Formats: sequence, structure tokens, C-alpha cells
Amino acid sequence: MLRFDHVTKQFGALKAVDDVSFEVKPGIITAVIGPNGAGKSTLVNMAAGSYSVSSGRILVGEVELQKLPKHRIAHAGLSRTYQNIRLFDGMSVLKNLEVALVPSGIAPLVADTFGLTGRAAAEARREKCHAVLAKLGLAAYAQRNAGSLAYGQQKLVELARAVVCEPRVLLLDEPAAGLNHGETEQLKQHILALRAPGLAMVLIEHDMKLIMAISDTIVVMNRGRVLAQGTAADIRANTEVQEAYLGQPGAIRDIEAAARGRRNRVRLREGEGLTWHQP
Amino acid sequence: MTSEAHPRLNPVRGAAALLAVPALVLVIGHFLPTYPLRVLDMILLYAVLGLGLNIVVGYAGLLDLGFVAFYAIGAYSWALLASGQFDIHLPFALVLFIGAGLAGLAGILLGIPVLRLRGDYLAIVTLGFGEIIRVLMNNLDGLTNGPQGIARIDEATLFGWTLATPLDFLYLLVGLLAVAFLFVWRIQESALGTALAAVREDQDAARGCGIDTTRVKLVAFGTSAMIGGACGVIFAAMQRFVSPESFTFWESLVIVLVIVVGGLGNPFGALLGATLLILVPELLRAWADYRLLLYGMALVLVILARPRGLIARDYGPSWLMRRLGGG
Repeated sequence: MLRFDHVTKQFGALKAVDDVSFEVKPGIITAVIGPNGAGKSTLVNMAAGSYSVSSGRILVGEVELQKLPKHRIAHAGLSRTYQNIRLFDGMSVLKNLEVALVPSGIAPLVADTFGLTGRAAAEARREKCHAVLAKLGLAAYAQRNAGSLAYGQQKLVELARAVVCEPRVLLLDEPAAGLNHGETEQLKQHILALRAPGLAMVLIEHDMKLIMAISDTIVVMNRGRVLAQGTAADIRANTEVQEAYLGQPGAIRDIEAAARGRRNRVRLREGEGLTWHQP
Repeated sequence: MTSEAHPRLNPVRGAAALLAVPALVLVIGHFLPTYPLRVLDMILLYAVLGLGLNIVVGYAGLLDLGFVAFYAIGAYSWALLASGQFDIHLPFALVLFIGAGLAGLAGILLGIPVLRLRGDYLAIVTLGFGEIIRVLMNNLDGLTNGPQGIARIDEATLFGWTLATPLDFLYLLVGLLAVAFLFVWRIQESALGTALAAVREDQDAARGCGIDTTRVKLVAFGTSAMIGGACGVIFAAMQRFVSPESFTFWESLVIVLVIVVGGLGNPFGALLGATLLILVPELLRAWADYRLLLYGMALVLVILARPRGLIARDYGPSWLMRRLGGG
């Protein structure tokens, strides 16, 4: 569904993403993990059009995203949440969701303004928003200002805004960051409930417990490259991943502990693990 | 939740509320002598200008300091197309559309290059545009008669109704204000309004949600300019004289103040702001020497005490309708 094809991102002399190729399949949850600076967020930002792509292709179906202006990427079926919440604070939760359903093109906009399309279309959009809010347990907040909600609720509103337009690819950029244990548990249930045959989900996360619990496949990145790809069990057992992370095999608990907190930056020693190529 | 958000509107109350105020204004107009009546006309004209500028500044959050340019384009449309200047005498209704159309076109043409700019940069460029138009009017002697302006402009007739007295214009302006009010309210409540609000709140996130921000900003700029142009046509018809002096930066500033003082993004705010900003200087005429000082102090006080304006964004017509319908 979503395919990275030899994607590279160069910031000056730094290759933040270096010749990355992998495919994200629909119906499953793909986690992308790796220490800070591994290039995970850069990858998401390129797919979503926030960063330009230095070389390579990013495809949703047959559509090459790197050629599209940012707003067209959403119409191509890719939507995202942000590492730092980016809601429309001054607008109601309901309006936040309606933004994702605004018809594109001048003619539909003008028709809607003058009520030429009738109230039915606008009403249908609103109902859709209410349905998504209800599904994520946010029905009671529909009329509240998004900026006035608690952090955890804002994270969920962002998730709601990302899924209301029925995307084919959903990029979740650290959805659990800053959430407490209960909220993370709730988020986990919501993400699992969103899993659908036509939806490819990409989860970028530092919470290893969450990742191991819900991911169907895991892509390990390090220094801009893909280090390994496989199921949670594969990754746990992969000594080379462990080596790449900590320089010694068999220390999965340490990996989890280190990756859990963003402050515990995992450092990599020169030359280690960089020769790994996925099969 | 849905029913709470969209209560059934009592149509009788809604219609009464919508009709009561304009009807009252017209009744009052019949009892006013000429001078206060002219002031009332100007209040309504600035209210419409405020409603127009609100689309760009209040809804989309783009500071436009050159709005007077569109007003000038409308005014000169009537002055040139219905006067002895070129001996063209087009009907008022037609020029109303031409003036609005030309202003809208100018808005879009200005918008294409400058809407990539944000915040202060956009404000400065629009300010420059306003000045360019004024300087053009001042120097294109062959076309606009330069600083002397264009006098002896035709009397406007609208489908056989001659607009001669300030009372005639009061009727016209009440009608225009009602149409403009309903129009901007519709924009606010429609998908376009949602898109503009998203642009105002976070342009990048709006793009991420699939909003073509350049396009919706252009639509906002164009519509707002059209309203400014229509106001200009009426202004020229009312004064029957135009000169570049009427379209200085000060005018742009007054229109911005109308909506900032009244309440950004709120159509009621434009009405209240226009009333205060036009009426207060007139009332202060008795203290002519201190007039601008008092005026300035009053503005500073309003901004300090109520930074969101006298009527905040959330208390617009939809809020009123909910109150009337729910009560």
C-alpha cells in the first residue's frame, strides 16, 4: 500500500535517510523503531510532504507522493498525526474533524457556500465526524474547543482527525508520547480497533511495550538505514539488532528500557551494525 | 450531542430577529435630518466594508492593510463609467457588478504572488499595494484626472429608482448590508469557512488535512475585494465626486480598526465597530482640538480591556440563532 523505494534525504552533508526501501502492507500495523536520529520522523515527514525527498520514490498504490504538493497527499489517501500535537486549538473538536472533509476544488466549495449542494452533504460530513468521535470515546467533547482539552484527549482528537477522511495509509508519529499508563492502554485499544483490511498503519513509537503488543511487523532503523524487518519475535531474537542497539547481544530488556524513554538516547558505537542488510 | 449542537431554529423568532434591526434602522432614518442621516449612511458603508475585510483578516487570519485599494477601484469604476470624464453613462446596477468584479480580479491578481507570505510580510505588501493604487489614481491624469479627482458624476438610478437623497442611500445600504451579512455568515458556516479557520489556526496542519491553502486564501481575498469594490461604487454614487484623497492608508486602517475593535471574525463585531468608529469622531466634533487624541485613547483602552474585540468571535449570528431557537 505504502512503499518506500530507495528513499534518501540529505540535510547538507548529513544523510538523515539513506537509501531506504520497504513496503507497508494494508490490514496490518507496521512499527518503525530505532534510536533518536535514526531517521524515522524524517521518513514520515517526507511521506506526508513536509520535507522534500532528495531521491527515491514514495508510493501509495501507483501514486508517487514525492511529486505531489502537500495538500494533495491527503487526497491520495495518506494522513498522519504529529509528534507534537497540531490541532486547530481555537476551533471546536467537531470543526477540527470537519477540516479533513472539506471538499477540494473551487466549484464544490462555492456550491457549498451558497447551499447549492443542499444541507445533505454538509450534514453527512458532520455525521461522519460524530461517528468517528463516538468510536474514539470523544462524543462528549464535540463542541469543546480543541485547545481546552487535556493532553491525552487532544492526542485522540488528532487521531480522529487523521482517520475521519478514511485514509488508506495512516502514519502515527509517537502517538503514546507523553501519555500515562492508562491513556496508553486506551490508545492501544483504539489503534487495534482501527485496524481494517484497507488501511496500512505505520506506527513510530518509543514505547517498546506498546510496539511489541500491537505491531504485526517491525522495521528497525538506525542512522538513516533499515537495519532489520520482521515480527516482534524476530526482532527480539535478532542478535544483530541487539548488537546494533547496545553493542552486545542478548540484552533485549536493556533495549526496551533504553528505548522507552526518549531521554535515554541510545548511542551507537562507530562502525557497529551498519553493515547489516535485510534479507 | 447532535441535537444540542444544532437546535431546531424557531423560524418566527429567527425571521423577526433578522428583520427587526434593519426595519428599525429604516424607521429611524425617516426621522433624521440630513446630516445625521449621512453619518448613518457612512456607518452602514463601513459596516459592509468591515464585513468584507473580515473574511480575510477575521476568518483567514491574514492581515490586509491595503483594503482601501479595492474600495478605490470600485469608486473609480463608477466615476469613470458614469460621468462626463469619457462621456460613458452605464447603468448603476451594471457598474455595481463591474466595480465588484474588477476589485475581485485585482484581489486575485494581488493574491497570487503575495499569499505565500505570512503575517507581517503580507501586511506590508498589502499596505504597499494600497498605496500603489492611490498613487496610480493620483498620477494617471489622462484616466483619473489626477489629484483634482472626478466631479459631476451621474446620479445613480437603480431600475427606475433615483438615488438622490441620503435616505435613498440608506435603503440601498441597508439592503446591501443585509445581503453582505447573510453572505459572510454563510461563508463562516460553510466548508469554506472551516477551511479558512484552519488556515488561520495552523496553515501547515491545514495543508496536511488536504486543504489547498493557496486556493482558499485566494477565494477569501477575491470575495473580500469584491465586497470592497461594491462599497466603492456606492461611495462614489453617494459623494458624486472621487479623488485619491479619499483612499489613503488611513482609510484602510479605519476599516481594520472597525473589525479589531468590534471583534475579529464576528459579523456583529463589524456592525458595532463601524458604529463606534464613525459615530464617536462625529460626537467629538465639539472638542475638535482634542478629537483625535480622545479617539486614539478610546481605541487603546478598548484593545487593552478587550483584546478579542468588544464582541468575541464565538458570539456571532450562529450563537444568537442558537440562543433564540433554544430559549
